[in-house]
Amino acid sequence: MNPELFLQLDRVIHEKGRLAIMSMLAASPELSFTELRDALAMTDGNLTTHIRALQEEGFISVAKSYQNKRPLTTCSLTPAGRKAFAEYITLLEQIVRQNKPR
Amino acid sequence: MPGGKSQLEQSDFVLQSRNMNPHWAEENLQTIRTLMERSALYRRALAPIMLFVGTVGIAGGVLGWLIQAQRGGPFLARLFVFYWALVATIALAGTFILVRRQALRDSEPFWSPPTRRVTQALLPAFVVGAVCGAIAADSNGGEEGILYLVSFWCWAFGCAIHAAGFFMPRGMKVFGWVFVLIGCGICVFMTNDADSFRATNLPNFLMTVIFGGLHLAYGIYLYFTEPKNPVA
Repeated sequence: MNPELFLQLDRVIHEKGRLAIMSMLAASPELSFTELRDALAMTDGNLTTHIRALQEEGFISVAKSYQNKRPLTTCSLTPAGRKAFAEYITLLEQIVRQNKPR
Repeated sequence: MPGGKSQLEQSDFVLQSRNMNPHWAEENLQTIRTLMERSALYRRALAPIMLFVGTVGIAGGVLGWLIQAQRGGPFLARLFVFYWALVATIALAGTFILVRRQALRDSEPFWSPPTRRVTQALLPAFVVGAVCGAIAADSNGGEEGILYLVSFWCWAFGCAIHAAGFFMPRGMKVFGWVFVLIGCGICVFMTNDADSFRATNLPNFLMTVIFGGLHLAYGIYLYFTEPKNPVA
C-alpha cells in the first residue's frame, strides 16, 4: 500500500468515535446530542470530548436552544467539515482501489 | 519537521498495526455507509400513524358495510373505488397531520430528506394502485372484478411499503411482504375457487380486515415495542 495516501488521511476525523459522528452528520442536516449519543452508544463525556475536538477543527457547528423549556444541543456539519469528510472518503476509496488485487 | 509533524506521528506507530489488515479501509467505508444510512432513516414514530390508519380502515369498513346493508346489495366497482378512495384520503390526511405534528414537536422540518425519500419510494406503487382503481371504476364491474382490484391494491400497497422500508425501520419491509402475499392469496383463491368467493360477498370485509386490521395490529405492536424517542 502507498503510505502517502495513508498519511494524507485527516487525523482528527481518522478516529473511530469522531468518524462515526461525522458519518452520522453527513447524512442528516442536523442531529441532537441525545440522538448522536444513543445511536453511537457513547457516554455523555466521550461524545462531548469528540464534539469539542471536531468543533475546534471547524468541522461541526453546535447550536444550543430550548425545546419544551429543556435545553437542546444540536450538531451539524460545517462546509469545511463536509469538505474534509468528502476528502477523507475519497482517500479511503483510493486506498481500497490500491489494495484490490489486480 | 515536514508539515509540522513529529517523527512519531510520521511513522504511524499506532496505526501501523491497523495497516496490517489490508481490508481496514474497506471496513471503514462500510461502517461509514451503515452509519450514514442509519442517520438518514425516517425517524418519525410510526405507532400513532399505524393506529390511526388502522382505526380509519376499520371504521371505513364498518360504515361501508352499513351503507351496503341499507342499500340492500353490495357496491358496484365505481362506488367501491370512490368509497375506499375517500377512506384512503382521510387516512392520508390524518397521517400528514400526525407527521407534521411530530416534526413541529421535534423542531425539525416536515419535508426532511428522509421524508422526501420515503414519499418518493411510496409514490410509484401508489400511482399503480390509483390507476388500477380508475380502470376498475370505469368498467364498473361486479364483485369478481372488485376482488381482483382488492388483490391489486394489496400488491401495490405492499410494494410501496416495501420500497419505503429501505428508509424505515426493518419491520416495514416485512409488513409490505404481508400485503403482497395476501394479494397473491386472494388472487390464487379467486382463480381456483371463484364461486365460493363470489358467494361470500367479501370485498368490503377484506378491505376492512387487510387494510384496517393489519395496520391496527402493527400499530399495537409498535406501540409496545417502538422506542418512545426514536433515533436513527
